[in-house]
Amino acid sequence: MLKEKGQLRFEDKWTYMRPIVLKLINQEPVSPSEWQELFYDVHLVCLWDEKGPQKLRDYLHKDIILFIKQAQTKVLAQRQEEALLKAYIVEWRKFFTQCNYLPTPFRQLESSLQGKTTAGSSSIQGSNIKKGQNDESIVRKLMLDSWNESIFMDIKMRLQDSAMKLIHAERNGEAFDSQLVIGVRESYVNLCSNPEDHLQIYRENFEAAYIESTEMFYKLKAPEYLAENGVQAYMKFADQKLKEEESRAQKYLEVGSNGVIQCCVNVLVGQPLPVLLAECAPLIKAGETDRLQLMFRLLERVPEGVQPILKELENHIVQSGLADMVAAADVITQDSEKYVERLLDLFRKFSKSVHEAFSDDPRFLTARDKAFKTVVNDTKVFSLELNTGRITGTKSVAPESKCPELLANYCDMLLRRTPLSKRLTTEEIETKLKDVLLVLKYVSNKDVFMRYHKAHLTRRLILDASADSEKEEDMVEWLREVGMPADYVNKLARMFQDIKVSEDLNTQFRASTARHDAINIKILNAGAWARGSERVTVSLPVELEDYIPDVEEFYKKKHSGRKLQWYHHMSNGTITFATNGGKFDLDVTTFQMAVLFAWNQRPHDKITYENLRLATELPDGELRRTLWSLVAFPKLKRQLLLFSPTQTNPKDFTEHTIFWVNQDFALIKNGKPQRRGKVNLIGRLQLSTERSQMEDNQSIVQLRILRTQEAIIKIMKMRKKITNAALQSELVDILKNMFLPSKKMIKEQLEWLIEHKYMKRDDDDINTFIYIA
Amino acid sequence: MDENENDRREVSQEKMFTLKKWNPVAMWSWDVECDTCAICRVQVMDACLRCQAESKKDLYGKQDCVVVWGECNHSFHYCCMSLWVKQNNRCPLCQQEWSIQRMGK
Ligand SMILES: [Zn+2]
Ligand SMILES: [Zn+2]
Ligand SMILES: [Zn+2]
Repeated sequence: MLKEKGQLRFEDKWTYMRPIVLKLINQEPVSPSEWQELFYDVHLVCLWDEKGPQKLRDYLHKDIILFIKQAQTKVLAQRQEEALLKAYIVEWRKFFTQCNYLPTPFRQLESSLQGKTTAGSSSIQGSNIKKGQNDESIVRKLMLDSWNESIFMDIKMRLQDSAMKLIHAERNGEAFDSQLVIGVRESYVNLCSNPEDHLQIYRENFEAAYIESTEMFYKLKAPEYLAENGVQAYMKFADQKLKEEESRAQKYLEVGSNGVIQCCVNVLVGQPLPVLLAECAPLIKAGETDRLQLMFRLLERVPEGVQPILKELENHIVQSGLADMVAAADVITQDSEKYVERLLDLFRKFSKSVHEAFSDDPRFLTARDKAFKTVVNDTKVFSLELNTGRITGTKSVAPESKCPELLANYCDMLLRRTPLSKRLTTEEIETKLKDVLLVLKYVSNKDVFMRYHKAHLTRRLILDASADSEKEEDMVEWLREVGMPADYVNKLARMFQDIKVSEDLNTQFRASTARHDAINIKILNAGAWARGSERVTVSLPVELEDYIPDVEEFYKKKHSGRKLQWYHHMSNGTITFATNGGKFDLDVTTFQMAVLFAWNQRPHDKITYENLRLATELPDGELRRTLWSLVAFPKLKRQLLLFSPTQTNPKDFTEHTIFWVNQDFALIKNGKPQRRGKVNLIGRLQLSTERSQMEDNQSIVQLRILRTQEAIIKIMKMRKKITNAALQSELVDILKNMFLPSKKMIKEQLEWLIEHKYMKRDDDDINTFIYIA
Repeated sequence: MDENENDRREVSQEKMFTLKKWNPVAMWSWDVECDTCAICRVQVMDACLRCQAESKKDLYGKQDCVVVWGECNHSFHYCCMSLWVKQNNRCPLCQQEWSIQRMGK
């Protein structure tokens, strides 16, 4: 059977092979013996005829082309779009199926041909064969390339046009068999024999045509729809169309073909952007969350779409927030509860709309925060003048928002025993305190809050007026959690510790002697409670004065190296007032006590202002204020003291104004005078005197200067050399939990530090500073 | 005459205003000439730097950081001075030999 090389000719064998090959190409049945013969003949041809493989390839090619020509005729015979696509797909699928079968018997041919072209290492050859005939097969490639050249090139424009016409029709609401378009796309993908980029033909032809026709469609449709139906309807239209096109692309395009959506976004959103944006402000103003949500969804798709909405939102919050505050100015300037509630209502309203319209997108939360900060720190409605009297160093101080003061007042109402705190449950109080902390986050000058909060806490602790001591200490921790400076929070914590120490001391003192049931001493750490605050002298009634040496003696035994100073403007007590009508317990300040006790020796006398001053030795301002609280206490229908001549302001008391005890004093209940009762006349216990209030303000300004200087030095030490701009931003970063330093103050402190040789300006650049060690 | 005396006694016993309860407030501070500790530069009424750092965890911080007076009458945090004398047994302010006059309590 075996013959010498050259004796077997391809042509002889081809005569037997061809009918089988033609059957395969035409998808006609082939018997197993024919199938095996074909294998064997290919083997022989490749083995015995040197030119065999080449010739086999050429003859095969001819027959493939022949088949393709026939298929082309069948396809082109179709005039109608759908029929054409259908015919093409039928032919293509037939052919493509054969692409997987036909190469099998020619495997020997593959290796012979590849052997010739890559006549090198056998390992490469081996691996090539192993990869299987499908992807790398020469015959398969021959078939696909032939299809591409002989039919596809000629009719691809017609195919694409037909496919796009169908899609166009679908966009206009006509139904058709989507498999037609999908089949065409698949042929584009499968046709590609480029192993590196098997989507090349698809992308360059099918996808490109798809994008172009889509763009054409919406370029026409979008402006038309906008003109006819207005912006609101258009947004819904655009949103719906984008969704449609997304699912359409999923159906007709390969995964990862995003170009068409980009193109739709550009036509549907990018081009009419100004018209859409013009709608933004009114929608925000009207709080149309559904429409805003739609608008956000659309504009988020284009790069410059969101920024303008953020700007509008911020403007709206600032403007409507401030308008709201101004409109309610009468109420909120008088009532810190109403003020804080109002702010919180605003905050909740804005947060709700950010949530509903913008799904709490971080960019919108930031815009809300920025705007809310502006509202909270605005000084239009009311401002706090940090009146510092004659202070050297800083000139005028810019007015600041009263917000931190009111927040502190509100906290006090919640933490002290007040009608408000009695009305609320523990949980409600906790919620409201947390609300305060929420607003506090937005306050620029937290140091002002701290000062007032500390003053209120001092008053509560000294008067034992806390509603809930556990809540008090919780609050300290919450302040720490929201980032209040540690040294401040530690100081508050120290006050609680100190008051406990003092309670122990009081217990010991009362145990040390039997006759002190009426006294309850508080001896506190000056560093924690009253640094730098001023004392007020008073001449104590003997009843009180008697206790002083005993206490001091006792204290000296317990401690050494300490000195005591009495803070009578903080002390208070209860006295019994016996009148014609009954007996009443009065909670009073020590100053009120000192004034009232002046009558104990002369109950019915009328005493002049001048003589009261001599008796009490109170400073003028303190005495006027104390007297006023006794002649015009707001809650009382019958006052304790009466006076003449009548004045409406304590400032108008003269040396000769006379005062006397109202012997008909009584507490009135339901219009009837009572015989017994208790009343608290302490009111807002004057913990700081008028002068020390001024000093407080002064100290807040001085403390800010000091903190600023410290922070500058800290930065300079670390950076050695730094530009002005960088310094300013680091400075704000360090100080922001206390206050926002003004540009002016920073500049003044820089000058001062330069003058005092802590730092200098760079010789080459006056905007750069250099640290001097 | 008896009646008059009774009357007077009545008045003196039953004063118009009588004290029921008094809550006086006093502040204590170290009896020092200089408010600041020259070693750590913190006010003597506050705990010294080292104690402040330690008591950060312990919320209410113990108030054990007392003051010490030398024979020269200069005063410092006891903590600060006891570290100082390990290096140099002289008062940092007047250079006199350091000896303790009294301790705060
Ligand atoms: Zn020290
Ligand atoms: Zn210490
Ligand atoms: Zn000394």
